[in-house]
Amino acid sequence: MQLIRTVLFGLALAVTASAAEPGTQAPGFSAKTFEGKQISLADYRGKIVFVDFWASWCSPCRESLPLYDKLAADFGGDDFIVIAVNLDETAADAKKFMAEHPVKYTVVQDPDGDIPKVFGVSGMPSSYLIDRDGTIRQRHVGFSKKDVDMLRAEVTKLLGKPAGAS
Amino acid sequence: MRPDFRLLILLVVAALLAGCATKPVQPWERGRLAKWDMRWDPDPMQAAADDHAHFSKEGTSGAIGAAGGGCGCN
Repeated sequence: MQLIRTVLFGLALAVTASAAEPGTQAPGFSAKTFEGKQISLADYRGKIVFVDFWASWCSPCRESLPLYDKLAADFGGDDFIVIAVNLDETAADAKKFMAEHPVKYTVVQDPDGDIPKVFGVSGMPSSYLIDRDGTIRQRHVGFSKKDVDMLRAEVTKLLGKPAGAS
Repeated sequence: MRPDFRLLILLVVAALLAGCATKPVQPWERGRLAKWDMRWDPDPMQAAADDHAHFSKEGTSGAIGAAGGGCGCN
């Protein structure tokens, strides 16, 4: 009985601990870009980081990429960083899409889905806005064009705040 | 009941239960499911034409939701 209770408690803990909620510290990850460069989330500490999970087969994701690219370009790309995590199982699918719709921001590949597992991604696309201290400020599932305006407002707000001032 | 028989039943039940266990498809694992070939009707036009012929020919047997009969030409 005691064993069952311990196992259940452990499972419950594992489930609650796995999701990356707003207000909590973003889980760290590192992955390779399509050019073979290894990057890690920790490299961007002190900057506003937008992590976007996408795949070439997900149509709202396809719509979002050029808009995020424009957003990143508008903010200058120095203090606001976009990291797109591609979840295509076949790299060729992603490469084909990126050849047709090139983006300037960093795109890393995670064909095994290890990073979304740690973040507890519940739908596609999913995005996380992380502040200078590494805290998740916003989590968003799905995509519509007006989401970009909300994101733009939030990023502008965060860019005005120095690290440590939450 | 003999203890070893009970153990056997326990093992069989455990095996049967394990057969029901599924690993849910995660949102990021739906690439293959999103493919056009994975649709119920790979060709919607063909499916609509088939349905039309079906309910026109089989009007009296129903099950498609429309009654009728004839050649399905209109």
